[in-house]
Amino acid sequence: MHNINIWLESNTFHHSQFWDLLRLIRKKEELGLTISLCIPTLNEEKTIGKEVVLFKSELQDRYPLLDEIVVIDSGSTDRTLEVASAFGADVYSSADILPEQGFKRGKGENLWKAIYQLKGDIIVYVDADISNIHPRFVYGLVAPLIYRPEVQYVKSFYDRPLALSKEIRASGGGRVTEILVRPLFSLFFPELTAIIQPLSGEYAVRRQILEEIPFPIGYGVETSHLIDVYTQYGLEAFAQTDLDRRVHRHQEIRDLGKMAFGILQTFIKRLNANGMVVDLPQLTMNLRQFQVRESQYEQIIHEIVEEERPPMQEITAYQEKFSHL
Amino acid sequence: MDGAPETVRQLARMPGLATELEPYREMLLANVVMVGEIPAPTFGEEERIRFIKQRFTECGLQSCSSDEVGNGMGILPGARGDKTILVSAHADTPFAAGENHTFTIEPGIIRGPGVADNSMGLAVLATLPTVLEGLGIKLQSDLLLLAPTRSLEQGDQQGIRFFLSNSTIPITTGIVVEGSPLGRLHYRSMASLGGMISCIVDRKVCHLSAIEILNSLISQLGQIELCAQTNTAVVLGSVRGGVTYKLPARTAHLRFQLRSDADDKVNSINRQILSMLDDAAKQKGVSAYLEVIARTRSGGLEAAHPLVNTARKIMRTIGVQPKASIYSSTISPYLEQDIPAVCLGVSNGDNLNYADEYIEIEPMLTGLAQVIGLLLCIDGGDCA
Repeated sequence: MHNINIWLESNTFHHSQFWDLLRLIRKKEELGLTISLCIPTLNEEKTIGKEVVLFKSELQDRYPLLDEIVVIDSGSTDRTLEVASAFGADVYSSADILPEQGFKRGKGENLWKAIYQLKGDIIVYVDADISNIHPRFVYGLVAPLIYRPEVQYVKSFYDRPLALSKEIRASGGGRVTEILVRPLFSLFFPELTAIIQPLSGEYAVRRQILEEIPFPIGYGVETSHLIDVYTQYGLEAFAQTDLDRRVHRHQEIRDLGKMAFGILQTFIKRLNANGMVVDLPQLTMNLRQFQVRESQYEQIIHEIVEEERPPMQEITAYQEKFSHL
Repeated sequence: MDGAPETVRQLARMPGLATELEPYREMLLANVVMVGEIPAPTFGEEERIRFIKQRFTECGLQSCSSDEVGNGMGILPGARGDKTILVSAHADTPFAAGENHTFTIEPGIIRGPGVADNSMGLAVLATLPTVLEGLGIKLQSDLLLLAPTRSLEQGDQQGIRFFLSNSTIPITTGIVVEGSPLGRLHYRSMASLGGMISCIVDRKVCHLSAIEILNSLISQLGQIELCAQTNTAVVLGSVRGGVTYKLPARTAHLRFQLRSDADDKVNSINRQILSMLDDAAKQKGVSAYLEVIARTRSGGLEAAHPLVNTARKIMRTIGVQPKASIYSSTISPYLEQDIPAVCLGVSNGDNLNYADEYIEIEPMLTGLAQVIGLLLCIDGGDCA
């Protein structure tokens, strides 16, 4: 795993390396790049206002790094859209983008439609549920793409204070990462284990990469991106940036089970496509969980179908809109 | 409209000023969040001051620096620069560094520890240079923006006191900015003494509980003759003592404040308290003593002072009713140096010094407008 060590050394950053925003903006302008921020939302009225205010004020008005800030919503029933719009974001309902393609509910759907709706050469995705939001969540991810032309896809990772001693700190992902995704990567794509938090929801990607990969609409979108970009471009296409702390909602273990189920479907699909497993039986899309009610065990069946959107470059409307590129 | 010419000119501009400030709303909000999410307990403000200085540098201020007590400052040079107006907002909060400092922006309010006291005030400092430039305002006087450290509790306003005592720049006038409430117009300081009485019992020789001794002292405090004419009062702030219900307490502490319009009255009550403590300590195995946390002097501007009058007119012109209270300890360091100063609030807030502290978003541009209005009038020379 020599390659992992080299890559960790050369392609892993800390956001503080990019504190000089004036220099970053000069380089961006020199390269003639445009950058769009996409915030996918579903009922995020408590955190969206702060995100929009901070990014608009700091990364548009003070330092013009972002060319647009766009919220793409999956059908919030709270005041998410009203709040985001009031603080200056461009707001779209996912269902209204490429209506001829229909609407599917899921974060991956919003990310996919963002490729059509947003105009930037680079799209940076930031989740809306981060309560300690800070401009570093954007510039820390965008900077490696600006300074390093060979980098195509930048993932975030976060400090998790699991102190074992003064010298050693286990820096890793969340529960689903450590008990599902990293073991799977270790088996099938060992180099991808170097991505410290493969499921982190914040990443910046060049348009030419985004438009050529499929998008699972649900839980599997981050995993599929990593595998698809890796199999085509190798580990060298990736970089990762430490964004320090990320404070967000804690998910229940049952919800993590659903997430793991969706990710597993996406993963198996790619193993199949790459010929890494053969002769798998027809798999069920039902996740079975159990609960106890008055000393009786009840089975709860969740049907989780990890549908995928095709690469955006195959969509005629997209080809027409971006034909100049 | 009466008053000096510059004031009349500036008052005419005031009604529309809050609207002119609309484009800076997000910048002000972002600064509230950015500064407020950096913990700054009293005596631990370094990181927050570093951020403030970075903001000053970004705005092109000169002499962005810190002094020996960690105050953060920057200067916006005026066209003439023959006078210096000081605008200050204290940097510290009563919240420990380890507490959750996450802010939320909800429809109509910003919530978070210290948002009103005093992230909003600091945000005004950080935003002011950009706003003045954007509005095309070029002051004649130098504008010195200062974020003093060590203001609260044991800090005893050490930061601002140090600056005013040691600065080589003669300050003409001071504006102290606090986050809330809008309508605050403080221009006088009461004499005050904030202190902590500690009772300690050596259980080897005394079986009394320290709480009993403190209780007796509290009763005696209640019997001290107060003077209504000088608005003298004793405020019992907090009590702490013992560790378990099973054993007599070895220690007990009372935090309190004496306030009065008259310095003499505070001094004489202080002497009475010291005498009470001496008597209590005559008991075998008992010690009782006073630790002074903070002191302020009585004084300040008169209600008819041009600075106060102008501030009042500006507030009324933009529909803000000045609050009845005229006293704030923040004025004391200025009066100690004979510098005329007023303290203004930016917006309305509540739950001060609790984790769910909040401040309203809508009035804050009006609050910012009054600061700019007063600044212009002082700069025009009508407030001396």
